[in-house]
Amino acid sequence: MSLKDSLRIMVVDDMATSRGLITQALDEIGIKNYLTENDGQQALARLSANPVHLVLSDYNMPNMDGLGLLQAVRQNKATQRMGFILVTGKPTPDMVATAKKWGLNNMIKKPFTSIAMKQCIESVVGKL
Amino acid sequence: MTPGEKLVNVVQGEYHISSEPDCVMSTVLGSCAAVCLTDPSQGIGGMNHFLLPHRAGRAEDVRYGAYSMELLINGMLKRGARKNRMVAKLFGGAKMLSHLRDIGDSNVAFAREFLQNEGIPIASESTGGNAARRIRFWPADGRVKQFVVPGAVERVAPPAPPPAPSVGEITLF
Repeated sequence: MSLKDSLRIMVVDDMATSRGLITQALDEIGIKNYLTENDGQQALARLSANPVHLVLSDYNMPNMDGLGLLQAVRQNKATQRMGFILVTGKPTPDMVATAKKWGLNNMIKKPFTSIAMKQCIESVVGKL
Repeated sequence: MTPGEKLVNVVQGEYHISSEPDCVMSTVLGSCAAVCLTDPSQGIGGMNHFLLPHRAGRAEDVRYGAYSMELLINGMLKRGARKNRMVAKLFGGAKMLSHLRDIGDSNVAFAREFLQNEGIPIASESTGGNAARRIRFWPADGRVKQFVVPGAVERVAPPAPPPAPSVGEITLF
């Protein structure tokens, strides 16, 4: 079984279309094992119960944004070792500094291509 | 426009949000599309202006529109709007050049689908056709006025600045 088949990913984005764009990229890469959530809080609850290898989260979300989710994931024993990739349109220096502090594994800028997404994931989990 | 109103021009690739009753947003649309969103009970609204660079159905392409919609919706949510109260008005997507593929149509189709996915109703729309539109939008109450500009072609880039006056060529003595 290859890494592509065993890798479990959680996609978090509040917009259906944006979520679709991320899962479409995962489909193109050949990753089949992914869950989706449209809210940071709900994602966190689900992650504690159903651990994944990697979280792919949007930054710009109401309630709990991507950085809030990263921080919560790192502070929870059950989830703190998960890989975390932040999907963002405009990374600001402040955002990058906070993300580094909380151990972000990688960042991908919107709009992204499937190839860019694959490279971004590979840099965290290894060759797919 | 009445005296005291503040005009904000929303150019391609940008968006603006306001809850000021005297704010008027304006834009000129050819094949681009603009979504005017309002939360009437909160008295807040916003407008974006986007163009999908290629043809519809290509994922890389939809991403530009999705990002623009996302900034607009999340920006409004941050300022107290609620998604289940949002109402949209949709404009643009004209076919400006008959020999080119119809990108106007795909811009409008994308916006409709995005709004439907998010459960935001479209209260009214003026889309397609062959003429450019000038839109004025009052974000606080969601009113829109449209002026059809017959035959005008969308300006993609601002016109080049006039050549600088050539100082030094004039000899005084």
